[in-house]
Amino acid sequence: MASRIQTILGWSVLGAMMAALYMVFMWVPTEADQGIVQRIFYFHVPCAWVAFASFGLVAIAGIFYLWLGGQVWDDLGHACAEVGMLFCTLVLITGSLWAKPIWGTWWTWDSRLTTTFVLWLMYGGYLMLRAIAEDTPQVARFAAVIGIVAALDVPIVIISVRLWRTIHPAVLVTRQGGHGLEDPRMVVTLLVSLGAFTLLFAWLVMLRFGELRMRSRLGAVARELAMRQFRAGTA
Amino acid sequence: MKGFAALVLKDLTLELRSGRTTLALASMALLVLVVLVFAFDRTVVRGPEAAAGALWVSLVFAGMLGANRALAVEQEQGCMRGLLLAPLERPTIYAAKLTSCVAFMVAAGAAALVLVVLFFNLDISYAILSLAAVLLLGVFGFSALATLLAIIGMKARGGELLLPVLIVPIFVPALIAGVKASASVLAGAGAARQWLEILVAFDVLFVTAGYLLFEHVLGEE
Amino acid sequence: MAAPIVETHALAKSFGVTPVLRDVEFRLAPGSAAVVIGANGSGKSTLLGIFAGLVAPTEGRVLVFGEEPRRFTPRYRRRIGMMSHQSFLYPNLTARENLEYYARLYGVADWRQAARTWLERVGLERHAEERVRGFSRGMEQRLAAARAMIHGPSLLLLDEPFASLDADGSARVKTLIGSAVAEGCALVATAHAPVELSGVEMELHEISAGRLVPYREKEEAKRGGRLRSLLGPGRG
Repeated sequence: MASRIQTILGWSVLGAMMAALYMVFMWVPTEADQGIVQRIFYFHVPCAWVAFASFGLVAIAGIFYLWLGGQVWDDLGHACAEVGMLFCTLVLITGSLWAKPIWGTWWTWDSRLTTTFVLWLMYGGYLMLRAIAEDTPQVARFAAVIGIVAALDVPIVIISVRLWRTIHPAVLVTRQGGHGLEDPRMVVTLLVSLGAFTLLFAWLVMLRFGELRMRSRLGAVARELAMRQFRAGTA
Repeated sequence: MKGFAALVLKDLTLELRSGRTTLALASMALLVLVVLVFAFDRTVVRGPEAAAGALWVSLVFAGMLGANRALAVEQEQGCMRGLLLAPLERPTIYAAKLTSCVAFMVAAGAAALVLVVLFFNLDISYAILSLAAVLLLGVFGFSALATLLAIIGMKARGGELLLPVLIVPIFVPALIAGVKASASVLAGAGAARQWLEILVAFDVLFVTAGYLLFEHVLGEE
Repeated sequence: MAAPIVETHALAKSFGVTPVLRDVEFRLAPGSAAVVIGANGSGKSTLLGIFAGLVAPTEGRVLVFGEEPRRFTPRYRRRIGMMSHQSFLYPNLTARENLEYYARLYGVADWRQAARTWLERVGLERHAEERVRGFSRGMEQRLAAARAMIHGPSLLLLDEPFASLDADGSARVKTLIGSAVAEGCALVATAHAPVELSGVEMELHEISAGRLVPYREKEEAKRGGRLRSLLGPGRG
């Protein structure tokens, strides 16, 4: 059942991505100011949307894990964190690729990119914990707490970074991208791309979640086996 | 809040006896400042901005040490378990450890402030109260975070390496607000309201979060 | 029996993949005393940890005072007194300060007096103002016993309470535990060998391959027992 959903989802991702790619590269008109490079925007923004939404999911999964306790919530949070990290990295990379031709530098400290970078660091902290620390329910609880605390922090980060940047306008030019969409075809392309990336996210999370579930189940089986051997005196 | 007073008094007594933590934090603050003074050419980087930045950098580093030390006192002889066994509400333990961490950081902050005034040739006679208020707000927020997450440093394998990695990104908004507010106080302009609002919001948010989440972090084996 | 103060059903504990305890069925009536005998690493400390709410069971149920230890509120914790391999004492505080601190934490009404009283009871009144850091293992153990009992618990969980104690210390602690039990306190103690408390009937249990079974004196142990009593009660 789950694998059927996964297959359907997989094919939808393929279809949606192909539609999005066609629209981004063939269909949508080139933007007047920035030229062809602006098309990165149709990948950059959906990735950002996914990266931020995913972090919210990590926090929600964490809340459920602390509240209800099932290992499935921990695995879900973990999967969302890994996939979310991937998309967050993509935001930074596409942002960098975009910045270079437009402003001549690989990196700018404008408010959105900075906020995404902070988010990236939070993802990094979460994943480092999971990678370094041992695999116990206690560590899973730690991860849940971190996910929740970091997610609570994100709105404050957004506000403070925006304030930080507007007070120092001389340092760099704020990127306009995202709200100067004159042509309706641009809006449509953005929405389709948004949908395609969301589907991609869902599919990747399903895949990763499936792997983590299997690993958790294997762990439970190993524990059960060890206990049975213990009981039988053959441990 | 039963037991809060006993806990805080015990931590303070222990610290007064050994003085280890205060010494370590003050040293950390000093060393970080020395590094910064030599790292930045002060003919170029000068004034209230630089001083505020240096102050907060040394505070953050001292603070990470402080949070670890507030918990380290429970490491010997399994006292942490003794604490868990005691009839204390978990939030009470949080509040007590938070208070200890704030106390350590205030001591370190005072040392850092004196050093910054010295190294950066500042005149802060007019600004001392506002500056102290801003620093206190920042210290409070940092301690709220650090006390919650330091348990992870204590209990998870490789945890001590993780604490800075976890705290710093989350602390960014308070750091920005704190540095900006301090810089403007040092420049004589008083602390801008929006930065203070961010600091207060940060503190309220994370003290509450710490209060609610601490029991999950303590957990069982 | 009346509602047991401690009871477990099919209790099992694994640390990661390593099983330590299995199928533990245990019941302790209020005011009774039980000893759990086992070798090092047999899981007896883990069992006490589960009763105290410090360790979570992997399988099965455990109820202490009719409640799951993981759900303990301060009200329940106040009724438990525990001794562990670690002393729970702060090395940089004096003996008196340690006792006063714990007495305060546990809500003892006149904590200063309680500390004084218990220091006398364990024979440490002359060392009251010395820091625990300088104590011998035996002195620490006696202080830890005082700490465990100072708040008048109704359940004592004592992990090898007589280890490191000399004859005098052992006698003192046994007397204190004996009076506590006589006044209605329940007791679960762990040890390497059977413990005798005068005037107290002890249920003897043993952990064998992770299971809790009634204790049966073994042949070799009987022979070794004679040698042990030659060497003195501080051993074994």
